Amino acid sequence: MKVIKEAIAGTVESSDLLVKVAPSGKGTRDIVIRSEVMKQFGKQIKKVVTDTLDKLSVSDGSIVIEDKGALDCVIRARVQAAVLRGCGSQELDWGRLS
Amino acid sequence: MNATADFYTVQPKDAPPEMEEVRKLLAANDLELDDQIEVFVVCRQKGHIVACAGLDHYTIKCVAVAEDARGESLSLALGSEVVSLAAERGQYHLFLYSAPHNLPFFRGWGFYPLVEVPQRVVLMENSPVAIEKYCESLRVQRRPGKTIGGIVLNANPFTLGHRYLVAQAARACDWLHVFVVKEDASSFSYADRFALVAAGVKGIDNLTLYPGSDYIISRATFPGYFLKDKGLIESSWAAVDLLLFRDYIAPALGITRRYVGSEPFDPVTKSYNAQMKDWLQQAPSGQPPITVVEIPRASIGGVPISATEVRRLLAERDFGRIAALVPATTLQFLESLLPVNNTIQ
Repeated sequence: MKVIKEAIAGTVESSDLLVKVAPSGKGTRDIVIRSEVMKQFGKQIKKVVTDTLDKLSVSDGSIVIEDKGALDCVIRARVQAAVLRGCGSQELDWGRLS
Repeated sequence: MNATADFYTVQPKDAPPEMEEVRKLLAANDLELDDQIEVFVVCRQKGHIVACAGLDHYTIKCVAVAEDARGESLSLALGSEVVSLAAERGQYHLFLYSAPHNLPFFRGWGFYPLVEVPQRVVLMENSPVAIEKYCESLRVQRRPGKTIGGIVLNANPFTLGHRYLVAQAARACDWLHVFVVKEDASSFSYADRFALVAAGVKGIDNLTLYPGSDYIISRATFPGYFLKDKGLIESSWAAVDLLLFRDYIAPALGITRRYVGSEPFDPVTKSYNAQMKDWLQQAPSGQPPITVVEIPRASIGGVPISATEVRRLLAERDFGRIAALVPATTLQFLESLLPVNNTIQ
């Protein structure tokens, strides 16, 4: 999938995260993560984000994340929501999201 | 917890009863109501407005939280509300004005500082990488040379005065970078203004023409610029816009000189030119100073050429006099705006 328009999901409240997606403009997938708990959990957050994007086959898009200490399941849900909005996706294969 | 906090939006133009409360809340926080704000997110708690955040297109201003309601959860909820309101309105790349001492508060909203006018204001944006990406896109356009010029034009519309300024600057520089103001807040659309500049500078080979950006004379960096027709001179404060040019745009392209036409008429532009010398040349900055070169305006019959005059003549359909002030390409465009069968009226 390719991000074709800007979209957001989530909030900047504690234990949540704000995910912003936008077209990359150059055919690549760029991920930028800022987190209040980067030092402790940065690697794990990166892994959850990358896995979620892989499952959705996102190959093209700019993904910027502002994390406020969200749990993995919240990260997954927010990334999915932002990507599906940004890809203008109509038909969803819910099985791929689990 | 803010379980009883109720967030909703109000539009100042509808003069809702909330505005008086918003005004008081802002005043208690040393802020004035900015009349460019299209919509406010407000938070009502126990019957009172305890927090507000205003949105002017893609810029957040007038953010305040009542002293007795302060605490992480309410302020972060307010930030989330205003960001999602902006998204609903199609705005994703957001800017925010803050007093320097509140910077940490807005870092919590996911905003990052761009430039600071000491003791006065910080401009922030909601991305840790957007400005760097923009500078990267500029850096690939760098040209070798010792004297590299930069010009920012609104060109509303492009006149022989603009052509003269660009030609003079190009002659004095090894390379010239020309930006066209992007904001669609002028009489002519950005697309039309850009096309006329592109046509008008043809034949000058040592220049690159750029589309404008949110970082150059935009509603975010210089809100006062677009109010000048309304005579709101007090909003003409341009430090933020000029610091962005000095700290990001000029270093990305290696610009050593900024060219500008002298301004005999318009007080906002005149003040902008004066501030240019302060902020680009004199103010302390981590970046080298940029020499401001003011070129006297080209004149026809002793009268300096101005786009304002062209617009006035256009309103009178006086194409005979317009022809003396603009290049053929602009004249053709202006003539094409009027249906042929109407020209006799």
